[in-house]
Amino acid sequence: MTLNRRNFLKGTAITAGALVVGVTMTGCGRMPLPHRNAEDLQPSAYLQVTPDGRFILQLAKVEMGQGTLTGMATLVAEELNMPPSMIVVEHARYHPDFADPEFYAMITGGSSSLRTSFEPLREAGAMVSALLKQAAAQLHGIAATEVALIDGVLSSPKGTVPYAEAVSLARTLPRPESLTLRAPSEYRFIGKKMTRLDGEEKVTGAAQYGLDIQYPNTLTAVMVRCPHFGGSLESYDAQAALATKGVSQVLEIDGALAVVAKGYWAARQAANKIKVTWKAGPLEGVDSAALRAERHRLADSEPGKNVEERGSAELARGERFEQRYDVPLLAHATMEPPNALAVRTERGMEIWSGCQSQQFVQGMVADALGISEDQVILHNQLLGGGFGRKIVPDYIVEAAKIAQRSGAPIRLVWSREDDIRHDLYRPCATALMTATIDNGKVTSLQSKAVAPSIFGQFIPLMTQSFMPRWVPDATHSTIGGLAAPSDPSATEGLAKQPYQFDYQRADYVMQKRTAPLGYWRSVGHSQNAFFMESFIDELAHKVKKNPLDFRLGQLDEDSRYAKVLKLVADKADWGNPPAGQYQGIAVHESFRTVVAQVVNVSVEGKTIRVHKVVCAVDCGLAVNPDMVVAQMEGGIVFGLTAALKGEITLKDGAVEQSNFHDYQMLRLPESPDIEVYVLPAQDRPSGVGEPAVPPVAPALANAVFAATGQRLRELPLRLV
Amino acid sequence: MAKLGFTLNGQPLEVDVDPSMPLLWLIRDELAMTGTKFGCGLGLCGACTVHLNGSPIRSCSFPVQAAAGQAITTIEGIASDSALHPVQQAWKELNVAQCGYCQSGQIMSAVALLASQPNPSDAEIDAAMAGNICRCGTYPRIRRAIHRAASLAAVQVFDPGTGTAVQQEVV
Repeated sequence: MTLNRRNFLKGTAITAGALVVGVTMTGCGRMPLPHRNAEDLQPSAYLQVTPDGRFILQLAKVEMGQGTLTGMATLVAEELNMPPSMIVVEHARYHPDFADPEFYAMITGGSSSLRTSFEPLREAGAMVSALLKQAAAQLHGIAATEVALIDGVLSSPKGTVPYAEAVSLARTLPRPESLTLRAPSEYRFIGKKMTRLDGEEKVTGAAQYGLDIQYPNTLTAVMVRCPHFGGSLESYDAQAALATKGVSQVLEIDGALAVVAKGYWAARQAANKIKVTWKAGPLEGVDSAALRAERHRLADSEPGKNVEERGSAELARGERFEQRYDVPLLAHATMEPPNALAVRTERGMEIWSGCQSQQFVQGMVADALGISEDQVILHNQLLGGGFGRKIVPDYIVEAAKIAQRSGAPIRLVWSREDDIRHDLYRPCATALMTATIDNGKVTSLQSKAVAPSIFGQFIPLMTQSFMPRWVPDATHSTIGGLAAPSDPSATEGLAKQPYQFDYQRADYVMQKRTAPLGYWRSVGHSQNAFFMESFIDELAHKVKKNPLDFRLGQLDEDSRYAKVLKLVADKADWGNPPAGQYQGIAVHESFRTVVAQVVNVSVEGKTIRVHKVVCAVDCGLAVNPDMVVAQMEGGIVFGLTAALKGEITLKDGAVEQSNFHDYQMLRLPESPDIEVYVLPAQDRPSGVGEPAVPPVAPALANAVFAATGQRLRELPLRLV
Repeated sequence: MAKLGFTLNGQPLEVDVDPSMPLLWLIRDELAMTGTKFGCGLGLCGACTVHLNGSPIRSCSFPVQAAAGQAITTIEGIASDSALHPVQQAWKELNVAQCGYCQSGQIMSAVALLASQPNPSDAEIDAAMAGNICRCGTYPRIRRAIHRAASLAAVQVFDPGTGTAVQQEVV
């Protein structure tokens, strides 16, 4: 029997600051928990207590740097009244109870982990605590209110209660009908500064990522792939490769070649010896400039789909002011390249890898191999970076196919070149931003985004892994095709923007020709904040107002936007930069969090130097305040890399970049001082993994305008 | 294949491998020591940084044969039995690591810096750490953690002759 999460919360009431939640039991006869242990107290999928007193949390949201491991342990630890470091954390395997309530799937993304786990995990802790106390009370013949659970010790006035007895009895007790959650004023761990639980293993080299897992007699596979998207394998000669010492197989897998050998070095050496001819496919002759020109034509000629309209079009009075903005494709470049260890065992296909959706692995590997989903056993690991890349487990499917064909345990390792050239990219995009200005007053703001759709590619993957196997492949692509022109990510941050004008609208024109696309940290916000907040800055200058005052003037003064803007302006000493430096400001909401930033720059020749970024964030309750700060810092550096350096270009439908020499990352000497201010709040958390990224590029571009008078409307920023 | 001998984390070791194989793959694939990471294969990102006689090298593009007779130290070899290296301690205290994948390399670069310059300036930190990429963006904390490690009372340094850790007081 398991708790059904959606029915878990029957009703809530506030009593003396504590939250009382009603509990409903459903779910008998559902899929058994993959981590079920008959000896343990296990009233929910999340948390179990062993007879020897270990509290084990299933980490349903993956740890890829954003701090969920520590955050989720903090939530259960708070209700268990024990330090988070006492919680044993295991990587959860797929189970329906772990589905994110907003994605309806077991997936880590959308900066949702702490937000959507906030109640379920505290309830899971409170439930275990209540059952243990009830059992202890019965064992000692006293009232449950006389039992204490403090720092892992279960005791009553009559003495300590051994876990073996308490767990054994608690398993047989009915669940309480309601649970009382601790009041914010009683928090011991939530909202307090603490060190990361994975901090030590990550400084000793002991932390295990997918690439670190050892399995006997594993062979390494590397890929030789068609560089052209949609291209195909024409012919190849693998004789020299097969003659290389240590090489056992060269397999053709989905139009690419897998070289299987003892160790990475032998496999890579052999792969370099394969002579291969590719057909360029449908994007032959297509380069990034052509795709951009196509977007510009579409922006001028196509009305697109209207996403939002506020006010009446006739209120758009006055002089028309229009500007066009552009951003390129971007790769994720996680430091740990995609990899997976796949082993055929008597249980099915066992996989050790780091991925952002255990559920997609289950569905997609089963589909690819023609086995049942319960024969796909994923042992998820720490991720050496995710940023959205590892939502789609294409690399895991690939490893499983090679292992199935090869028969040997296979460790598939993508090279950095594979990673840069075969990513699922942040879409390239163009925006046409239009305003009307009447006697110094901006009367309308309109945006038209032109970009290929992530949905068109992602939805078929989702339906393929969720829908029954008999549904024909064509159905999935049809569904994807229908969804694509309404892709909400294309206009997120353009639609529902916070400024108030008499008339506002947002439209989306889908570009059909595209490279493979995916979710990249902050998704559509990553480009749309640049479009919106740069253009707002242009409008401020156009009507001769201070960019901060102009923004505040168009915002509700009690809004979260106004609050973070005022805070950041105050902390950054807006308007008084050090000599030789110039400031830019931007604010943006994403994933229910509002972030404002002020960037200080100086310009020497054509070189932009970022000295300082001051950041104010309203993310609701900060469960682990120092990790919120870390996510802001990291998001700012991530955003600066994109703003100053990031660009993937295509030639003949193939990516021109290949490694960190031509797809460059910000490095430590270029990293600015960063100050972060977190607005105090006590209610509940919103997202922090992504929201620091969107405002950086426009704040920086606005500072560059202040410094040079050049309005740069393309990323990466390049002074002329 | 060739027989090669060297010292790894203070222990003598003899291996029989392709002498042109990068040291990284000897460490990871042959010796199954996984703290040292594969990031780019071209010496561009620093995730694979180890020490050769106390100096940082990029093991992904350093042939095994060049290590013959030398002292190699990996991330597994910098802590003593009883305590983390002060750099590791500072990293942990300041919550530097996010995904953590690049941090072995970052720490190896920082340990080498502090061994040669016990109290580095920001400019010296910039120069020593420019070869290590962190995609999570932990640079501000890396800078602070290096200063913090420098201020801890004792910094472990490596005797280039033997590759073993010795305690040294830092003023």
